[in-house]
Amino acid sequence: MRVAFVVNDLQLSGGVGVVVQHARQLVSRHGFEVELVLAREQDEPDWRYPGLEDVPVRAMPSARGERYDIVVATWWETVAASLELDARRHAYFVQSLEDRFYRPDQPDRLGAALTHDLPLHVITEARWIADTLDELYPERRCLLVRNGVDKAVFAPLETAPIRRTEPLRILVEGDADVWFKGVGEAVAATRAMTAPRHVTLVSRSGAALDGVDRALGRQTAEQMSALYAESDVVLKLSRVEGMFGPPLEGFHRGATCVVTAVTGHEEYVEHGFNGLIVEWDDERGTARALDTLATDRALLHLLRANALQTARAWPSWEQAGTMMAGALHALARAPEAAPLDGAAAALATARAAIESQAMRVAERDRLRYRVAGLAAFERVIERPPLRWIAAGPRALWSAARRAKARRRR
Amino acid sequence: MNAGVARALRSCSAQASKNVPCPTKAIRAGSPTRGCGYGGASSGDGRRNTEAAGGTLAGYAARVPEWQERLTRDTHPTIRIEHELRYRLTAPLVRGAATWCDLGCGTGVAAAAALGDARAARVVLVDLEPDAAAQAVAELGAARAETLTADLSDETDLASLRELLLRADGGGVISCFEVVEHLRTFVPLLELLIDLAGEHDYTTVLSVPNDAFGTIENPYHLTMWGEGALEELRRMLPRDHVAAAQVPVSGSAFVIDGSAGDNSALTVAQRPSPVASHFIVAFGPRAAELRGVAAAEMTDLEGQRNWERQREANLAFHEEELAELRDYVHDLERRLDAGASGDDA
Repeated sequence: MRVAFVVNDLQLSGGVGVVVQHARQLVSRHGFEVELVLAREQDEPDWRYPGLEDVPVRAMPSARGERYDIVVATWWETVAASLELDARRHAYFVQSLEDRFYRPDQPDRLGAALTHDLPLHVITEARWIADTLDELYPERRCLLVRNGVDKAVFAPLETAPIRRTEPLRILVEGDADVWFKGVGEAVAATRAMTAPRHVTLVSRSGAALDGVDRALGRQTAEQMSALYAESDVVLKLSRVEGMFGPPLEGFHRGATCVVTAVTGHEEYVEHGFNGLIVEWDDERGTARALDTLATDRALLHLLRANALQTARAWPSWEQAGTMMAGALHALARAPEAAPLDGAAAALATARAAIESQAMRVAERDRLRYRVAGLAAFERVIERPPLRWIAAGPRALWSAARRAKARRRR
Repeated sequence: MNAGVARALRSCSAQASKNVPCPTKAIRAGSPTRGCGYGGASSGDGRRNTEAAGGTLAGYAARVPEWQERLTRDTHPTIRIEHELRYRLTAPLVRGAATWCDLGCGTGVAAAAALGDARAARVVLVDLEPDAAAQAVAELGAARAETLTADLSDETDLASLRELLLRADGGGVISCFEVVEHLRTFVPLLELLIDLAGEHDYTTVLSVPNDAFGTIENPYHLTMWGEGALEELRRMLPRDHVAAAQVPVSGSAFVIDGSAGDNSALTVAQRPSPVASHFIVAFGPRAAELRGVAAAEMTDLEGQRNWERQREANLAFHEEELAELRDYVHDLERRLDAGASGDDA
């Protein structure tokens, strides 16, 4: 079977990493012919994903001349490009409801939401997404393939180590400037703790926040594995997640988690069994949960031991690849959900509107910058006593404008 | 060397000379394909390792001593009953079917006990090992059964299976219990079963274990199954498939004047959210005919007591031997002026 996964680029991101893993598994273990097609030209060099050498990468102009059994879009911006390619079936690998990555006033939010309503068969990686998409469009085929975990890198520990006296070692992962990751709130909660703790923050920039003992930049999977292994708790207070991978990787390395009830957590986090679930915007409650783990080391060990047990039952990438192969066969068997004629044109129109709106917003912001000085001057002369002094010239100016208007008429 | 140490060393030596893989932690944590029937990693050719000589049943028991991947007459009753129950679930479909095919038939002990006189006109028994299929023929008393030796993850073997099944008209029933978790890939098998269901009137009843709820990682399972994996599987199946959960039960019964009387109407009290030990899916034209069944068997408390006491005694005995060995090694190390080793150094 010949399959093309359409990706925006090959930059470092969780979503692209998942696609690359599936492509590798399909090629090496299931006899698929898989290509990655880049939906747009790249400005930056590709991130070196392991195993990418086994999977050909094409640009759109070259892929347009090919015929595939299945073409799979992997991100909302790649859907229009995927529909340009010739295939027996088109599908959409939905890794999250991607409209939620944008704030309500961002036009991209609407663009992402539109793609979820298209009559495309979907493959998704979490049950909550599958259930939501089923409700949106029951007629289409919605397949589920959970992300695997690299069991060689995140090798499950034999047993969870017992730590009785040291400060609670907390790992916070994510970029503080991504609004839905809740990194600032997580670090604030650790600051509000009373028990001794050691906080490590891993982000792309490596920038430290107040209260962080160790700030680290981009880490390889192997480095993250080592960091999880030396941590007691993974703290994630995200507001938007797809499959919610980091705490699960931590589970493999013997760490428990304190998390919000973000989408994706329900797949493997059980409150009081292998982790603790806290409320959003509850800094004191989160701090108290962390303090509990810092002081009740028997509870900490119970959660860590159960987390490790949960991890053992989670599928490897090999198993996830098998499920993806099965899902693609199921899609190949299924008839199209509905005719896709006009979908590409509709998406192009929507995309043009989004770009146009983005240009208008940019122009508005530019003008706002230009008039900032005048606005400041106006605010100054509106204050007494300048306001009284300016009242005379302002009345004269208004009278002159009215006279000029009368003359025109 | 004192007498205890000598005895311990003799015991170790004897154990080694038996060439029997011990159910040790090392095996549990080791490669999941050791001794496993399916998966290319075990022997390179996708065939079951056959290092153990001897009779069929002895061979299986020797190679898979702890997880009972093959059912024999000595299998723990709980495991045997739950396996039999899956065949009893299938019995109404098998009775009167044109063809019944049992994939991964093993020794046929459970199927023979459960199906009784519920037989199809034609029986096809498939296993990776010819000895197992031959044993199943004997157990089932189906001398005219057709057998096929096949690796169910191999496309060539699956083509042979397809050809064999389609030699006769009228469709049939396929049972596939506790097989897919042993396969390197179950996708070609699933494709075949879905095709047979859609195009050739075959109904498949398939089971997978709930590994996610177990506390021991089964080294013979190449894929891990649980509610999440089941959901993945179900979404690949035809929409009108039937899903069932097999739930363990605990119970008790009266024996009055030496007779159990009629306990056939077993009442199973419901729990709000029962946890499954196994998941069953059925698809094909007769899938909707499945009906709930339950089974119970009186516990062999005497045998259980003997086994548990033996295990406790053995454990205490070997712990004592280990302590003596450790003291002996430390004594040697002191005499050789070497650094002390081990946890109790």
